[in-house]
Amino acid sequence: MAVSKIMCCCGSGIGSSLMIRLNVEKVLKKMGKTGIEVVHSTTSDAQPGAADIFVVGGDLADFVEKLPHKIVLHNIMSAQELEEKLTAMFAELGE
Amino acid sequence: MITDMLKKENIQIIDSIPDWREAIRISVQPLVDTGYVEPRYIDGIIANTEELGPYYVLVDDVALIHGRPEQGVLEKQLAVTVVKEPVAFAEDGSHKARLLVTLAATDGEAHIDVMRALAELFMDADKIEQLVNSTDVDTIYQIFSDADTAEAE
Repeated sequence: MAVSKIMCCCGSGIGSSLMIRLNVEKVLKKMGKTGIEVVHSTTSDAQPGAADIFVVGGDLADFVEKLPHKIVLHNIMSAQELEEKLTAMFAELGE
Repeated sequence: MITDMLKKENIQIIDSIPDWREAIRISVQPLVDTGYVEPRYIDGIIANTEELGPYYVLVDDVALIHGRPEQGVLEKQLAVTVVKEPVAFAEDGSHKARLLVTLAATDGEAHIDVMRALAELFMDADKIEQLVNSTDVDTIYQIFSDADTAEAE
């Protein structure tokens, strides 16, 4: 499956989701992945079909339980954790 | 730029705060006093915390205290509270923080450059340590101003 959109979510849509988005953009660049749209929003927008991959902090894991292709971060500020989990997700999706 | 969103008068250093609700009141109050948020922003963040837990404790020692724009934000702005005694934001005594950065954002995007600079700062454990050990407002303001430059490099 071609990944074209990643959505980062948090409760307010202005705090940790944006922090995660900035880190995702940075890590994608480092991984040499281009052409992927990265957005941030509230967890209420995290619906199946809204994006190919969803990324949230650990405190919101319950809110995204039913979504396919999600990454739950223990430390939302860790670029290393994000890169490992994104790499694994891309592998799983056959990218 | 952080310096466009942070005024020295909205930086405070406090010895200790009894509980997380009081910490939210104290850390948001400067933005109420200077007219950037309505008083209900405080109650909104407390209600969010009761519902979701301390979603704003981003890393050890750092809370980016904020609610949703429609919960009473008038204009985008930051405030900084350094509290010498860590405040536990979870009822079980976890999610402790000494650096409380209060964010008022009018929408999801307008503060993106500031968040980029804050992200760099929050990932730097040495800088966080310098901030929580600061004893004057000028030093704290300087470290935040420097984060703008660091981000631009």
